[in-house]
Amino acid sequence: MSDPSLLANYLWIGAMLFGIGLVGLAARRNLIVMFLSAEIMLQGVSISLVAWSRFYHDWGGQMFVLFIIAVAACEAAVALALTVVLFQRAGHLDVAFWQKLREDSLTEYVDHELPVVLDEESHWPELTPAGRRPAEDPTQTPYRSHV
Amino acid sequence: MTSPQVLLLAIGFLAVGLWLMLPRGNARGRGWGAALSVIGIMAMIQAGSLAGQLPLAAPWGYRSVVWLLGGITVVSALGAVVMRNPVYCALWFALSLLGTAGLMLLIGAQFLALATVVVYAGAIVVTFLFVLMLAQPEGQAYYDRISWEAALSAITGALMIGCLTAAISRLPYADLQPDAATLKLRDRSFAVEQHVAELGGRLFSEHLIAVEIAALLLLVALIGATAMVRQGAKPPSAEGEGVAESSVAAAKGGPR
Repeated sequence: MSDPSLLANYLWIGAMLFGIGLVGLAARRNLIVMFLSAEIMLQGVSISLVAWSRFYHDWGGQMFVLFIIAVAACEAAVALALTVVLFQRAGHLDVAFWQKLREDSLTEYVDHELPVVLDEESHWPELTPAGRRPAEDPTQTPYRSHV
Repeated sequence: MTSPQVLLLAIGFLAVGLWLMLPRGNARGRGWGAALSVIGIMAMIQAGSLAGQLPLAAPWGYRSVVWLLGGITVVSALGAVVMRNPVYCALWFALSLLGTAGLMLLIGAQFLALATVVVYAGAIVVTFLFVLMLAQPEGQAYYDRISWEAALSAITGALMIGCLTAAISRLPYADLQPDAATLKLRDRSFAVEQHVAELGGRLFSEHLIAVEIAALLLLVALIGATAMVRQGAKPPSAEGEGVAESSVAAAKGGPR
Protein backbone atom coordinates (compact mmCIF):
# COMPACT_ATOMS: atom_id res chain seq x y z
CA MET A 1 0.00 0.00 0.00
CA SER A 2 1.50 3.28 -1.10
CA ASP A 3 -0.15 5.94 1.01
CA PRO A 4 0.77 9.57 0.23
CA SER A 5 -0.54 10.87 3.55
CA LEU A 6 1.55 8.35 5.48
CA LEU A 7 4.60 9.34 3.44
CA ALA A 8 3.93 13.02 4.15
CA ASN A 9 3.58 12.33 7.88
CA TYR A 10 6.89 10.54 7.99
CA LEU A 11 8.61 13.23 5.95
CA TRP A 12 7.30 15.88 8.36
CA ILE A 13 8.62 13.99 11.34
CA GLY A 14 11.97 13.61 9.60
CA ALA A 15 12.09 17.31 8.73
CA MET A 16 11.35 18.27 12.33
CA LEU A 17 14.07 16.03 13.67
CA PHE A 18 16.49 17.55 11.17
CA GLY A 19 15.58 21.11 12.13
CA ILE A 20 15.74 20.45 15.86
CA GLY A 21 19.14 18.85 15.46
CA LEU A 22 20.26 21.87 13.47
CA VAL A 23 19.25 24.19 16.30
CA GLY A 24 21.18 22.10 18.81
CA LEU A 25 24.27 21.93 16.64
CA ALA A 26 24.24 25.68 16.12
CA ALA A 27 23.38 26.79 19.64
CA ARG A 28 24.87 24.41 22.18
CA ARG A 29 28.44 24.71 23.38
CA ASN A 30 29.02 21.34 24.95
CA LEU A 31 30.95 19.03 22.60
CA ILE A 32 28.91 15.97 23.52
CA VAL A 33 25.55 17.72 23.12
CA MET A 34 26.65 19.03 19.71
CA PHE A 35 27.44 15.48 18.70
CA LEU A 36 24.04 14.28 19.94
CA SER A 37 22.39 16.97 17.83
CA ALA A 38 24.23 15.76 14.75
CA GLU A 39 22.95 12.26 15.46
CA ILE A 40 19.40 13.62 15.69
CA MET A 41 19.83 15.12 12.22
CA LEU A 42 20.95 11.71 10.94
CA GLN A 43 17.85 10.14 12.48
CA GLY A 44 15.63 12.59 10.63
CA VAL A 45 17.21 11.68 7.31
CA SER A 46 16.93 7.97 8.10
CA ILE A 47 13.19 8.24 8.78
CA SER A 48 12.68 10.06 5.47
CA LEU A 49 14.60 7.40 3.54
CA VAL A 50 12.67 4.54 5.13
CA ALA A 51 9.39 6.31 4.32
CA TRP A 52 10.37 6.68 0.66
CA SER A 53 11.39 3.05 0.59
CA ARG A 54 7.93 2.11 1.83
CA PHE A 55 6.23 4.44 -0.64
CA TYR A 56 7.97 2.97 -3.68
CA HIS A 57 8.17 -0.58 -2.30
CA ASP A 58 11.85 -0.44 -3.07
CA TRP A 59 14.75 -1.72 -0.99
CA GLY A 60 17.11 1.12 -1.88
CA GLY A 61 16.05 3.41 0.95
CA GLN A 62 16.48 0.77 3.61
CA MET A 63 19.92 -0.12 2.25
CA PHE A 64 20.88 3.52 2.47
CA VAL A 65 19.79 3.68 6.12
CA LEU A 66 21.78 0.55 6.89
CA PHE A 67 24.93 2.28 5.65
CA ILE A 68 23.97 5.47 7.49
CA ILE A 69 23.97 3.43 10.70
CA ALA A 70 27.40 2.01 9.85
CA VAL A 71 28.80 5.47 9.15
CA ALA A 72 27.20 6.82 12.33
CA ALA A 73 28.94 4.11 14.33
CA CYS A 74 32.29 5.11 12.80
CA GLU A 75 31.51 8.75 13.46
CA ALA A 76 30.68 8.00 17.08
CA ALA A 77 33.98 6.16 17.59
CA VAL A 78 36.06 8.97 16.11
CA ALA A 79 34.06 11.79 17.72
CA LEU A 80 34.16 10.27 21.19
CA ALA A 81 37.90 9.67 20.89
CA LEU A 82 38.28 13.32 19.88
CA THR A 83 36.11 14.39 22.81
CA VAL A 84 38.26 12.47 25.28
CA VAL A 85 41.45 13.95 23.83
CA LEU A 86 40.07 17.50 23.77
CA PHE A 87 38.87 17.11 27.33
CA GLN A 88 42.27 15.93 28.48
CA ARG A 89 43.88 18.97 26.89
CA ALA A 90 41.37 21.65 27.87
CA GLY A 91 39.98 20.36 31.14
CA HIS A 92 36.40 20.99 30.05
CA LEU A 93 34.09 20.37 27.12
CA ASP A 94 33.51 23.97 26.06
CA VAL A 95 33.85 24.23 22.29
CA ALA A 96 34.68 27.94 22.61
CA PHE A 97 38.06 26.94 24.05
CA TRP A 98 39.08 25.73 20.59
CA GLN A 99 38.14 28.90 18.75
CA LYS A 100 41.78 29.55 17.98
CA LEU A 101 41.19 27.15 15.09
CA ARG A 102 39.12 29.89 13.40
CA GLU A 103 40.34 31.86 10.42
CA ASP A 104 42.50 34.94 10.84
CA SER A 105 39.86 37.34 9.58
CA LEU A 106 37.36 36.44 12.28
CA THR A 107 37.34 38.22 15.60
CA GLU A 108 37.61 36.35 18.84
CA TYR A 109 34.41 35.47 20.63
CA VAL A 110 34.39 36.67 24.22
CA ASP A 111 31.82 35.70 26.83
CA HIS A 112 30.58 39.00 28.18
CA GLU A 113 28.81 37.62 31.20
CA LEU A 114 28.89 34.16 32.59
CA PRO A 115 25.76 32.92 34.34
CA VAL A 116 25.90 32.95 38.09
CA VAL A 117 24.94 29.72 39.77
CA LEU A 118 21.76 30.25 41.73
CA ASP A 119 21.62 28.99 45.27
CA GLU A 120 18.56 26.83 44.93
CA GLU A 121 20.01 25.12 41.88
CA SER A 122 23.34 24.28 43.45
CA HIS A 123 21.72 22.01 46.00
CA TRP A 124 22.65 18.41 45.33
CA PRO A 125 21.33 15.31 47.07
CA GLU A 126 23.52 14.19 49.93
CA LEU A 127 24.34 10.59 50.66
CA THR A 128 25.10 9.23 54.08
CA PRO A 129 28.90 9.02 54.42
CA ALA A 130 30.16 5.46 54.50
CA GLY A 131 33.70 4.12 54.73
CA ARG A 132 36.69 6.40 54.59
CA ARG A 133 37.68 8.95 52.00
CA PRO A 134 39.99 7.44 49.38
CA ALA A 135 43.46 8.92 49.00
CA GLU A 136 43.58 11.26 46.03
CA ASP A 137 46.02 10.58 43.26
CA PRO A 138 48.11 13.76 42.88
CA THR A 139 48.82 13.03 39.20
CA GLN A 140 45.11 13.15 38.43
CA THR A 141 44.34 16.56 39.85
CA PRO A 142 45.64 18.72 36.97
CA TYR A 143 43.08 17.15 34.66
CA ARG A 144 40.15 18.70 36.48
CA SER A 145 39.65 22.37 35.94
CA HIS A 146 37.04 22.74 38.66
CA VAL A 147 35.37 20.14 40.77
CA MET B 1 -6.93 31.07 7.66
CA THR B 2 -5.04 29.94 4.62
CA SER B 3 -2.07 27.69 4.66
CA PRO B 4 0.72 30.33 4.32
CA GLN B 5 -0.69 32.34 7.22
CA VAL B 6 -0.81 29.30 9.46
CA LEU B 7 2.69 28.39 8.38
CA LEU B 8 4.08 31.85 9.22
CA LEU B 9 2.33 31.74 12.57
CA ALA B 10 3.78 28.28 13.23
CA ILE B 11 7.30 29.42 12.34
CA GLY B 12 6.94 32.35 14.75
CA PHE B 13 5.64 30.19 17.57
CA LEU B 14 8.36 27.58 17.07
CA ALA B 15 11.15 30.19 16.91
CA VAL B 16 10.02 31.92 20.11
CA GLY B 17 9.49 28.58 21.84
CA LEU B 18 12.92 27.28 20.89
CA TRP B 19 14.52 30.56 21.96
CA LEU B 20 12.81 30.37 25.35
CA MET B 21 13.89 26.78 25.85
CA LEU B 22 17.55 27.09 24.86
CA PRO B 23 19.93 27.70 27.77
CA ARG B 24 20.45 31.44 28.21
CA GLY B 25 22.13 31.95 31.53
CA ASN B 26 19.61 32.01 34.33
CA ALA B 27 16.75 33.23 32.16
CA ARG B 28 13.35 31.76 32.97
CA GLY B 29 10.44 30.70 30.83
CA ARG B 30 11.33 27.16 29.74
CA GLY B 31 7.82 25.89 30.44
CA TRP B 32 6.35 28.59 28.22
CA GLY B 33 8.97 27.73 25.62
CA ALA B 34 7.97 24.06 25.64
CA ALA B 35 4.28 24.95 25.30
CA LEU B 36 4.95 27.40 22.46
CA SER B 37 7.15 24.89 20.63
CA VAL B 38 4.51 22.15 20.80
CA ILE B 39 1.85 24.59 19.59
CA GLY B 40 4.16 25.68 16.77
CA ILE B 41 4.83 22.09 15.69
CA MET B 42 1.13 21.24 15.68
CA ALA B 43 0.30 24.41 13.76
CA MET B 44 3.01 23.57 11.26
CA ILE B 45 1.50 20.15 10.61
CA GLN B 46 -1.91 21.79 10.31
CA ALA B 47 -0.48 24.17 7.70
CA GLY B 48 1.01 21.24 5.81
CA SER B 49 -2.27 19.36 5.87
CA LEU B 50 -4.15 22.44 4.63
CA ALA B 51 -1.76 22.84 1.73
CA GLY B 52 -1.44 19.20 0.84
CA GLN B 53 -5.08 18.04 0.65
CA LEU B 54 -3.84 14.48 0.86
CA PRO B 55 -6.25 11.57 0.84
CA LEU B 56 -6.12 9.66 4.10
CA ALA B 57 -5.83 6.05 3.04
CA ALA B 58 -4.45 4.52 6.22
CA PRO B 59 -6.96 3.49 8.91
CA TRP B 60 -7.32 5.88 11.83
CA GLY B 61 -5.78 3.49 14.35
CA TYR B 62 -2.65 3.19 12.26
CA ARG B 63 -2.44 6.95 11.85
CA SER B 64 -2.88 7.61 15.54
CA VAL B 65 -0.02 5.23 16.34
CA VAL B 66 2.12 7.08 13.80
CA TRP B 67 1.29 10.40 15.45
CA LEU B 68 1.90 9.05 18.93
CA LEU B 69 5.33 7.70 18.01
CA GLY B 70 6.16 10.80 16.00
CA GLY B 71 5.18 13.02 18.91
CA ILE B 72 7.38 11.05 21.29
CA THR B 73 10.28 11.24 18.84
CA VAL B 74 10.04 14.96 18.16
CA VAL B 75 9.38 16.03 21.76
CA SER B 76 12.24 13.96 23.12
CA ALA B 77 14.52 15.31 20.39
CA LEU B 78 13.59 18.79 21.62
CA GLY B 79 14.46 17.69 25.14
CA ALA B 80 17.80 16.30 24.01
CA VAL B 81 18.68 19.61 22.40
CA VAL B 82 17.66 22.03 25.15
CA MET B 83 18.46 20.27 28.43
CA ARG B 84 21.12 21.93 30.54
CA ASN B 85 22.50 18.75 32.05
CA PRO B 86 24.21 16.58 29.38
CA VAL B 87 23.15 13.38 31.14
CA TYR B 88 19.52 14.35 30.62
CA CYS B 89 20.37 15.17 27.01
CA ALA B 90 21.64 11.62 26.51
CA LEU B 91 18.55 10.11 28.15
CA TRP B 92 16.16 12.17 26.02
CA PHE B 93 18.19 11.19 22.99
CA ALA B 94 17.76 7.52 23.88
CA LEU B 95 13.98 8.01 24.10
CA SER B 96 14.02 9.75 20.74
CA LEU B 97 15.86 6.78 19.26
CA LEU B 98 13.27 4.38 20.64
CA GLY B 99 10.55 6.47 18.97
CA THR B 100 12.48 6.38 15.70
CA ALA B 101 12.81 2.61 15.94
CA GLY B 102 9.06 2.31 16.52
CA LEU B 103 8.34 4.46 13.48
CA MET B 104 10.62 2.31 11.34
CA LEU B 105 9.02 -0.87 12.64
CA LEU B 106 5.60 0.47 11.78
CA ILE B 107 6.35 0.82 8.08
CA GLY B 108 7.99 -2.54 7.65
CA ALA B 109 11.67 -1.91 8.31
CA GLN B 110 12.04 -4.53 11.00
CA PHE B 111 15.76 -5.02 10.71
CA LEU B 112 16.51 -1.30 10.69
CA ALA B 113 14.41 -0.78 13.82
CA LEU B 114 16.36 -3.51 15.57
CA ALA B 115 19.68 -2.22 14.31
CA THR B 116 18.85 1.30 15.49
CA VAL B 117 18.02 0.11 18.98
CA VAL B 118 21.03 -2.19 19.20
CA VAL B 119 23.60 0.11 17.66
CA TYR B 120 22.47 3.45 19.10
CA ALA B 121 20.58 2.82 22.29
CA GLY B 122 22.75 -0.14 23.16
CA ALA B 123 26.20 1.00 22.23
CA ILE B 124 26.33 4.71 21.53
CA VAL B 125 24.24 5.90 24.46
CA VAL B 126 26.25 3.77 26.87
CA THR B 127 29.39 5.31 25.43
CA PHE B 128 27.88 8.75 25.88
CA LEU B 129 27.14 8.08 29.50
CA PHE B 130 30.68 6.78 29.93
CA VAL B 131 32.12 9.96 28.46
CA LEU B 132 29.79 12.12 30.51
CA MET B 133 30.86 10.42 33.69
CA LEU B 134 34.49 10.80 32.68
CA ALA B 135 34.14 14.41 31.76
CA GLN B 136 31.56 16.00 33.99
CA PRO B 137 31.36 14.82 37.54
CA GLU B 138 30.38 18.26 38.73
CA GLY B 139 27.22 18.49 36.64
CA GLN B 140 27.02 22.27 36.50
CA ALA B 141 29.26 23.85 33.92
CA TYR B 142 28.93 27.40 32.66
CA TYR B 143 29.04 26.33 29.02
CA ASP B 144 25.93 24.19 29.47
CA ARG B 145 24.02 27.26 30.62
CA ILE B 146 24.77 29.60 27.71
CA SER B 147 24.32 29.21 23.96
CA TRP B 148 25.85 30.65 20.85
CA GLU B 149 23.31 33.17 19.54
CA ALA B 150 20.20 31.45 20.90
CA ALA B 151 17.78 33.73 19.04
CA LEU B 152 19.46 33.34 15.64
CA SER B 153 19.73 29.58 16.03
CA ALA B 154 16.06 29.28 16.97
CA ILE B 155 14.98 31.39 14.00
CA THR B 156 17.18 29.36 11.65
CA GLY B 157 15.80 26.07 12.88
CA ALA B 158 12.19 27.23 12.75
CA LEU B 159 12.63 28.58 9.22
CA MET B 160 14.28 25.34 8.15
CA ILE B 161 11.41 23.24 9.54
CA GLY B 162 8.85 25.59 8.02
CA CYS B 163 10.41 25.50 4.55
CA LEU B 164 10.73 21.71 4.63
CA THR B 165 7.13 21.30 5.79
CA ALA B 166 5.85 23.56 3.02
CA ALA B 167 7.95 21.77 0.41
CA ILE B 168 6.83 18.33 1.58
CA SER B 169 3.15 19.26 1.55
CA ARG B 170 3.46 20.52 -2.03
CA LEU B 171 5.10 17.43 -3.48
CA PRO B 172 3.16 16.09 -6.51
CA TYR B 173 2.25 12.83 -4.82
CA ALA B 174 -0.10 11.73 -7.57
CA ASP B 175 2.68 11.94 -10.16
CA LEU B 176 5.27 10.39 -7.88
CA GLN B 177 3.21 7.33 -7.14
CA PRO B 178 4.29 4.26 -9.13
CA ASP B 179 1.55 2.60 -11.13
CA ALA B 180 -0.18 -0.52 -9.92
CA ALA B 181 1.68 -2.88 -12.24
CA THR B 182 5.09 -1.72 -11.03
CA LEU B 183 3.99 -1.95 -7.42
CA LYS B 184 2.70 -5.46 -7.94
CA LEU B 185 5.99 -6.49 -9.52
CA ARG B 186 7.99 -4.98 -6.64
CA ASP B 187 5.67 -6.45 -4.04
CA ARG B 188 6.86 -9.88 -5.04
CA SER B 189 10.16 -9.06 -3.35
CA PHE B 190 9.24 -6.25 -0.94
CA ALA B 191 6.19 -7.55 0.90
CA VAL B 192 7.70 -10.93 1.64
CA GLU B 193 7.26 -12.84 4.87
CA GLN B 194 10.97 -13.35 5.45
CA HIS B 195 11.79 -9.69 5.43
CA VAL B 196 15.22 -9.79 7.03
CA ALA B 197 16.35 -12.68 4.83
CA GLU B 198 15.38 -10.73 1.73
CA LEU B 199 17.16 -7.63 3.03
CA GLY B 200 20.31 -9.61 3.75
CA GLY B 201 20.18 -11.32 0.37
CA ARG B 202 20.00 -7.99 -1.40
CA LEU B 203 22.65 -6.46 0.83
CA PHE B 204 25.18 -9.15 0.02
CA SER B 205 24.37 -9.42 -3.67
CA GLU B 206 23.47 -6.01 -5.10
CA HIS B 207 25.39 -3.93 -2.58
CA LEU B 208 28.38 -6.16 -1.97
CA ILE B 209 30.98 -3.54 -2.87
CA ALA B 210 29.31 -1.04 -0.55
CA VAL B 211 29.49 -3.60 2.26
CA GLU B 212 33.22 -4.02 1.63
CA ILE B 213 33.70 -0.25 1.69
CA ALA B 214 31.72 0.01 4.91
CA ALA B 215 33.93 -2.66 6.45
CA LEU B 216 37.01 -0.70 5.38
CA LEU B 217 35.50 2.46 6.85
CA LEU B 218 34.85 0.75 10.18
CA LEU B 219 38.44 -0.48 10.27
CA VAL B 220 39.80 2.97 9.47
CA ALA B 221 37.60 4.54 12.15
CA LEU B 222 38.78 1.97 14.69
CA ILE B 223 42.45 2.62 13.91
CA GLY B 224 41.90 6.36 13.81
CA ALA B 225 40.13 6.48 17.15
CA THR B 226 42.83 4.37 18.79
CA ALA B 227 45.61 6.50 17.31
CA MET B 228 43.89 9.69 18.39
CA VAL B 229 43.45 8.62 21.98
CA ARG B 230 47.04 7.37 22.19
CA GLN B 231 48.58 10.45 20.61
CA GLY B 232 46.32 12.93 22.29
CA ALA B 233 47.55 12.37 25.82
CA LYS B 234 51.18 12.99 24.87
CA PRO B 235 52.68 16.39 25.69
CA PRO B 236 52.34 18.86 22.80
CA SER B 237 55.50 19.78 20.96
CA ALA B 238 57.62 22.61 22.37
CA GLU B 239 56.97 24.98 19.46
CA GLY B 240 53.21 24.49 19.71
CA GLU B 241 52.21 28.14 19.93
CA GLY B 242 48.50 27.98 20.53
CA VAL B 243 48.61 25.47 23.35
CA ALA B 244 46.93 26.79 26.45
CA GLU B 245 48.21 26.52 29.98
CA SER B 246 45.74 23.91 31.08
CA SER B 247 46.75 21.58 28.27
CA VAL B 248 50.38 21.81 29.31
CA ALA B 249 49.31 21.10 32.85
CA ALA B 250 47.25 18.21 31.64
CA ALA B 251 50.19 16.82 29.75
CA LYS B 252 52.35 16.62 32.86
CA GLY B 253 50.64 13.40 33.72
CA GLY B 254 52.45 11.89 30.78
CA PRO B 255 51.05 9.66 28.07
CA ARG B 256 48.60 7.07 29.21
